[in-house]
Amino acid sequence: MRAGAEPLTAGALPGRPQAGRRRDLLLTAAVLAAGAAAYTQLQPLAGLLAYEIAGLPRGSHLGSAVEFFLYEVPKVLLLLTAVVFAVGILRSFLTPERARRLLAGRREVSGNVLAALVGSATPFCSCSAVPLFIGFVTAGVPLGVTLSFLIAAPMVNEVALVLLLGLFGWKVAALYVAAGLAIAVGAGWVIGRLRLERHVEAWVWQIDSGGGAADGQAKSWADRLADGRAAVRDIVGRVWPFVVIGIAAGAGIHGYVPMNFMAAFMGRDVWWAVPAAVVLGVPMYSNAAGIIPIVQALLGKGAALGTSLAFMMSVIALSLPEIIILRKVLRPPLIATFVAVVAAGILFVGYLFNLVI
Amino acid sequence: MFGEHMKVEVLGPGCGRCREAFRVVQHVVEQEGLDVELVKDESIERMMALGLMATPGLAVNGKVVVSGRIPKAEEVRQLLGAA
Repeated sequence: MRAGAEPLTAGALPGRPQAGRRRDLLLTAAVLAAGAAAYTQLQPLAGLLAYEIAGLPRGSHLGSAVEFFLYEVPKVLLLLTAVVFAVGILRSFLTPERARRLLAGRREVSGNVLAALVGSATPFCSCSAVPLFIGFVTAGVPLGVTLSFLIAAPMVNEVALVLLLGLFGWKVAALYVAAGLAIAVGAGWVIGRLRLERHVEAWVWQIDSGGGAADGQAKSWADRLADGRAAVRDIVGRVWPFVVIGIAAGAGIHGYVPMNFMAAFMGRDVWWAVPAAVVLGVPMYSNAAGIIPIVQALLGKGAALGTSLAFMMSVIALSLPEIIILRKVLRPPLIATFVAVVAAGILFVGYLFNLVI
Repeated sequence: MFGEHMKVEVLGPGCGRCREAFRVVQHVVEQEGLDVELVKDESIERMMALGLMATPGLAVNGKVVVSGRIPKAEEVRQLLGAA
């Protein structure tokens, strides 16, 4: 029995036999290989289930909706598991504490770019927004740089990336990531230039943020693999219902909504569609997993890409609950500026993509 | 071990993940019958004093041992010296 006073590290737990680690490693490799094999068989399997076994007529509304659902759900969940696992390992190298050390005292522009990149790769949940914000600004990370981080963190993340990759392909995924990072950099930079530090709640500056927490030091590769598996349990475990419901709604739209139905509302030449999409997106609180399958289905029915991207970004990046949480540390003028600048960035991206593509 | 007073803090602003983290720790403490002071602190000030920036967090005797995730029961058992 060990006393509680001995040095505590979260990662390397003592007394774990080497053989157990090797077994873990082999098991992880086997699961990855099995997943990859299953992935290649999904399309024929979905068709077989929908048309041969369930006996739905080919070309029917119900048949195509069911086939779409049976194919997309396992595909996205497999991709999600693989990417979350990889990102979980990557994240064992990058903690918020390390991000803060990296960003403290950075100049604008280069600081904003770095913050957006680090933000998109750091583990983040919106209820961590306040401690993270205070930890950053009190450690000397400029306000605008901190906000670049806070904008990028929810907008560009592994769940969004997987869904975009799986449902839209790599081109749209890359566009989304580039645009999301650009908005985070741009909005953070603009807010930094506006010198709004006085609109941060005064008590925030009084807080003496300590030396930095020590979770996650001295990790072995076995620990990092364990981190990856923990990330899969945590994130996939939390997100899968959204994926299923989102894809079910998408499948319904896919099978039943007539072709070009959306063109009238979300088409490229409807000038008001982009701002409407942004306004509609703010009160809607969903994560990437719930909204992206629906948007993908709408895109298939004649919605323009820029408008769809704007809607997605607005739903994911500008959410009412997060604004309410941030109100604890930011005074109304700064909150309003934050929302306005981010919304302007999303509008710009929406119009740009409608124009170019 | 009995002479030492162990303070276990679960930190988080009160979101679902933080409540889940508290449940895990509470469960271990009760199951193992540990003589520790278990508190759930929702104040930002305490998180900052400990240097915690990602929630949920777990601190033992004022030292952060878990940050930004829900710990597993087995891990908590090890951390509290009950394994």
